[in-house]
Amino acid sequence: MTKRTLILLALLVASIISPLVVVNFTPIDIPRAMRELGRYYVVNTIRDTASPEAVAAVVWDYRGLDTVYETVVLYLAIVGGLAVFRLSKAPSMQVVIGLTVLSRTATKIIILLISSISAAIVLHGHLTPGGGFPGGSALAVTSMLIVPVFSVHSIIERGITSTRLIAIRGLALTALGLVALLPVFRGLELVTNQRFYPARVGFITVSGSISLYNLFEFFAVASGFTAVALYLSIPEEWYKERFSEHGG
Amino acid sequence: MILTLLMMVVSSLLSLVFVYMAVTEQDLLKAVAFSAGQSICYAILLQAMAATDIVMTYVAVSVGLYSALLVFVLSKTERFEEIGR
Amino acid sequence: MLEKYTYVLVVFVLALNALISIYGIVYRRSLVKKLIALTILSDTVFISIILVGFTLTHPLVPPVYTSMEAPETEFLVKHASDPLPQALVLTGIVIGLAVNALIAFGIIQAYRLSGTTDARKLIKPLVEEVSE
Repeated sequence: MTKRTLILLALLVASIISPLVVVNFTPIDIPRAMRELGRYYVVNTIRDTASPEAVAAVVWDYRGLDTVYETVVLYLAIVGGLAVFRLSKAPSMQVVIGLTVLSRTATKIIILLISSISAAIVLHGHLTPGGGFPGGSALAVTSMLIVPVFSVHSIIERGITSTRLIAIRGLALTALGLVALLPVFRGLELVTNQRFYPARVGFITVSGSISLYNLFEFFAVASGFTAVALYLSIPEEWYKERFSEHGG
Repeated sequence: MILTLLMMVVSSLLSLVFVYMAVTEQDLLKAVAFSAGQSICYAILLQAMAATDIVMTYVAVSVGLYSALLVFVLSKTERFEEIGR
Repeated sequence: MLEKYTYVLVVFVLALNALISIYGIVYRRSLVKKLIALTILSDTVFISIILVGFTLTHPLVPPVYTSMEAPETEFLVKHASDPLPQALVLTGIVIGLAVNALIAFGIIQAYRLSGTTDARKLIKPLVEEVSE
């Protein structure tokens, strides 16, 4: 038994026994009812936002301005990556082969499944748990899978370069800002949902601006993290050449 | 009810094991695998607390994106950590 | 009885996880290990925020309306989990992802410029400079 396993066993035994001691000697009170503010959100969500999901309503309507700013903070990852790597644009990659037929076939099936499920998660984000962030992150996992299995060149030769991805991200962010800004021209506040956008389109419940926000957030997150994956896959030999000729 | 409480107990104890093994491991690739295991235990704990919106985001980000990002970083830097004073 | 034991056990384990990850950030030498411990610490804090919205009712359901009739509202008020901490944690996860990606870029560039990811070797020239 190494020292590491002994410490782990000691921690496990301590954490199994000490709640017994605490519960016997001190009165513990576990809450049995929801807090006031949460109760207001659950009771009033359909009347105020036409969305039966309370969490999406809180994120995009009741506290919508926080979320719009947080989407801007995601820019930090991309701009910071460009600044730290000292790149003005990504270099041209050599043609590399990638992994064997076995991994390629398995990855093709997995990519198909992940793409369809991320589209499903985004599209019903205003009715059941889901939304823009989980869908965008799932699609970003797809691109992080493609890079080792199929090689970076297979993404770039299909026209998905990092400049275009950042352009898509900028467009999605502009559209998000426009959806937040349009009600101001009619005299309402900045992130208004029900007084400006329709709750239903035909027989589909659209919940006003929430489904628009989810769609644009999906594009923003997916393209942003695919660009991050492309920056991370620049080969090291390119950097060694640049640093050796500039002297470090 | 008992099932929910048992799920919380088992998943939190398992997450303690994974966190300790991840922080004290010298081979960083194994540490990334332990960190992914800890994220799965936290996802079970979140489901027992009925936070379903968070479960989707958390699994996609922590098991998918962090593990992939850290493996990219490890392939460009060193794999083993030095231990000593 | 089992309910109180479970609640105190979860709080205790979360505190232990936070302490172990803080030990990992401070005492471990590799920069990548510090990043792994930082992600564990932020995840632990998020779970303890959601633990604030946990109530002890028998069918604990997420705060989502499944039918548009009148009794659904009272059922959800009594049996659902709190939506407000979940919204705050969603924001926190996304911002944590952006910052951790930036730190990963920084680690790669530090390795390219100095050849090591060991925090003590990186700081050695500065320490010698100060002590002279």
